[in-house]
Amino acid sequence: MDQQLAELSAKVQTLEKAAAMAGSINMEIFYWWCIALMIMIHAGFLAYEMGASRTKNVLATGIKNILAFAFVVPTFFFFGWWIYCALPGGFTVSEAGADALPWALKMGPNLSDNATGIFWAAFAMFAATTGSIMSGALIERIRMTAFIVLAIVLGSVVWILGAAWGWHPTGWLTTQWGLHDVAAAGCVHLIAGAFTLGVLINLGPRIGKFNADGSANEIIGHNMPLTVIGLMMIIVGFFGFLGGCIIYVNGAQWTNIYGQPATLSAFAFNTLMAFSGGLIGAWIKTRDPFWMMSGGLVGIISAGAGLDVWYPPLAFLIAFVCAFTAPMVAKMVEKAGIDDAVGAVAVHGYGGLFSLLACGLLAAGYPNMNDAPPISFIGQAQSAIVFAVLGFVPGYVLSLALRVAGVLRVPSKSELLGLDKTKVPVTAYPEGFGQPVVVPAE
Amino acid sequence: MTSVPFEKWDGVSAYFTFADQPAVLLGLCAAAAAVTAFSVISGAKHELDCYRKVDNGS
Repeated sequence: MDQQLAELSAKVQTLEKAAAMAGSINMEIFYWWCIALMIMIHAGFLAYEMGASRTKNVLATGIKNILAFAFVVPTFFFFGWWIYCALPGGFTVSEAGADALPWALKMGPNLSDNATGIFWAAFAMFAATTGSIMSGALIERIRMTAFIVLAIVLGSVVWILGAAWGWHPTGWLTTQWGLHDVAAAGCVHLIAGAFTLGVLINLGPRIGKFNADGSANEIIGHNMPLTVIGLMMIIVGFFGFLGGCIIYVNGAQWTNIYGQPATLSAFAFNTLMAFSGGLIGAWIKTRDPFWMMSGGLVGIISAGAGLDVWYPPLAFLIAFVCAFTAPMVAKMVEKAGIDDAVGAVAVHGYGGLFSLLACGLLAAGYPNMNDAPPISFIGQAQSAIVFAVLGFVPGYVLSLALRVAGVLRVPSKSELLGLDKTKVPVTAYPEGFGQPVVVPAE
Repeated sequence: MTSVPFEKWDGVSAYFTFADQPAVLLGLCAAAAAVTAFSVISGAKHELDCYRKVDNGS
């Protein structure tokens, strides 16, 4: 009898070990494919921006977008991941940061750690996304290297500091104010939108965007179908992004980033309903395919903060309202003399802000974990202010410094000639591509 | 100097190249960071040359 019990116990231990390893590998597989899908976001932004550029700038625009990805990934390895792990309490350094130093034993192939690499990679994709969000707004006049520096600061420092504070189980915005931002509407979209606004103020508009009386001309990109397809590719990639926002717990229910129980089903319900609400809201407002697709994007962002708790028709309505109003915000930005070539401030900045406030207004009272305060409108609004300031100030100050140094903007002769002819050794359309658009003020 | 940090797979955790030599890891990190920084500087120089050519009409 004792021998049988011992054998049984050994078998149970073996099974438990096998189940644990199967769980670890399932977790890796899940996030691996989320990462692959998130790269689709970058393919989408690439197509979207290139389509929104005039033919004379199309390749330079593409290079700029790709280099954001190329430079954010290594810098996120050097210091971005450390910022996330070390600074959830504010500016005091947590001991958890030691394992995230770039020379730590967890920061490379390690048989006792299946999690760090895959989470680092998912976060690196979020980081590169912030660079891509900014990229489109600045097309056709920013210097490549100024953009790379700005993308590194946004992607590997600023947004991830916001994530440490508000998208982390022990981030102070959650433990102090009860912040709920499940799909990173604040730390990714609001921060990136606010940072972009700060840069746009110093960068100035493209030549020909505004007339002497302040009225705006429309600078039309050379390939609207490419832009619209790019936006749809971003939506596909968004499913990877959102998958990266839920935590796989071996042998138990999923949780969100704050440790609250959640399901992927909840994300599926609300993502699709919000996408549809956003498409319809912007279509009703503008009848413009560019804004219709941007509306789908801002619709998902607007439902993001509470993506795990919305009743799906409510997610639809939130997205409808946000997408209906986002083109008006873009118009206000333009009336302020700011040339945001793709509406990034409206879609990401406004969408992220709307999302946090909607969650505070319509999901107030949901309890948090570990004695953190419940969701409240005040907590969400305060956190939104922190994210907005955290994004805007570094974007404004750094771009101002680059402008003062004379390295922010391309010289006007090159801007008029086109950036492809200026610095790209190959031609986008050697056999031509319709007639180039000339803006009246050019 | 070998890049392999162990002789047998039993009980191995970190198994990447030079995992047992912290100073080398630090040096490789510094080298990779330097390459990244140099690439930005190189890009800036290329851009500046291109803009000058356009300004000079060449």
